Amino acid sequence: MVFLTSPAWIRAAKPDKFWRRRRTFRLSAHYFGRARNCYKTAIIRVEKALSYALVGRQQKKKDMVQLWEQRLEAGCAEHGTSLPVLRQGLMRCNVLLNRKTLADLAIWEPRTFKVRGSQLAME
Amino acid sequence: MIHICMMSLPRRLATSLLGHVRSHITSATCGTSSAGRSASVLSRCRALSLVPGVSSCPSLVASLRTSAAQFRSASYQDVQPDYEVVAETENKITADVVSQVNRSIADRSTGRLFAVVHINGKQFKVTDGDLVVVQGQWPPSLGQQLRLEKVLLVGSADFTLLGRPVLDRGMAAVEATVIEKSLSHTKTIFRKKKRKNYRRINFCRMPLTTLRINSVRLEKTVDQS
Repeated sequence: MVFLTSPAWIRAAKPDKFWRRRRTFRLSAHYFGRARNCYKTAIIRVEKALSYALVGRQQKKKDMVQLWEQRLEAGCAEHGTSLPVLRQGLMRCNVLLNRKTLADLAIWEPRTFKVRGSQLAME
Repeated sequence: MIHICMMSLPRRLATSLLGHVRSHITSATCGTSSAGRSASVLSRCRALSLVPGVSSCPSLVASLRTSAAQFRSASYQDVQPDYEVVAETENKITADVVSQVNRSIADRSTGRLFAVVHINGKQFKVTDGDLVVVQGQWPPSLGQQLRLEKVLLVGSADFTLLGRPVLDRGMAAVEATVIEKSLSHTKTIFRKKKRKNYRRINFCRMPLTTLRINSVRLEKTVDQS
């Protein structure tokens, strides 16, 4: 007997889930416990890790700005001014050095920073 | 209260003179150059840190000491100090300092110079031999010799030149070479909204350019007016 419709009922095979899960396990290889080897636990932790990475990249820029501002405050306090005064003075003098550069100067070129601080406190 | 003021006057005189000198220098050079691009000289010459240390100019020292003496002897009833005299001494200090700076520039005896340079939206503090990584699309091609022109600040061990906002074009020469054009490591951009069946994953590699700073030099002397 020849069955002509039975081939029509065959559906394409789904891809082997091994490979999809392996993409996750490669990221969770250094995790502790079941998160390393069991997919249902691993996928949760890996997705959290990737979300934290994205947020962290954005947060890093804010953290750096805060660090520079903290260092500038310290540098200004050494010379008797404060950061708002320094910034105002720089704006008025049309000097467009940003916080990163100012912080670098405050650390590595203290004489430049001192001169600027005192000058701008005057202005 | 008056006594306290008078006792602290000499130091205040020195610092106020410093302030006046600096502001004088800045305002002096402000008017000369083209709009918005003038250099102000801030000298950290050891001469200025202590007023009697202006060693190259004994008459200057004497005049400063006399004006200091004037301040010290003044009481609140006296007339305000003679600003013309003060301005004159300031002018002398300014001229002296500027000439010292110009001399060291002309002699090439400034030593190692550092500069703050603006590249592709970011500021870098550079000296000779530095490596700078510029992120993002940047036209210069591999092996090109560049001259970085947006120089905000040039400094040496003894003085700094501040641009407002940028130094004049011919003043500072920062030579650089493009040594590498590559891409950053792959960054995974993963967005998830929990319980909403929303999960997106994207990958990104940003172009990077690595520059070697060959030299930082001062070409022109400071304009004095």
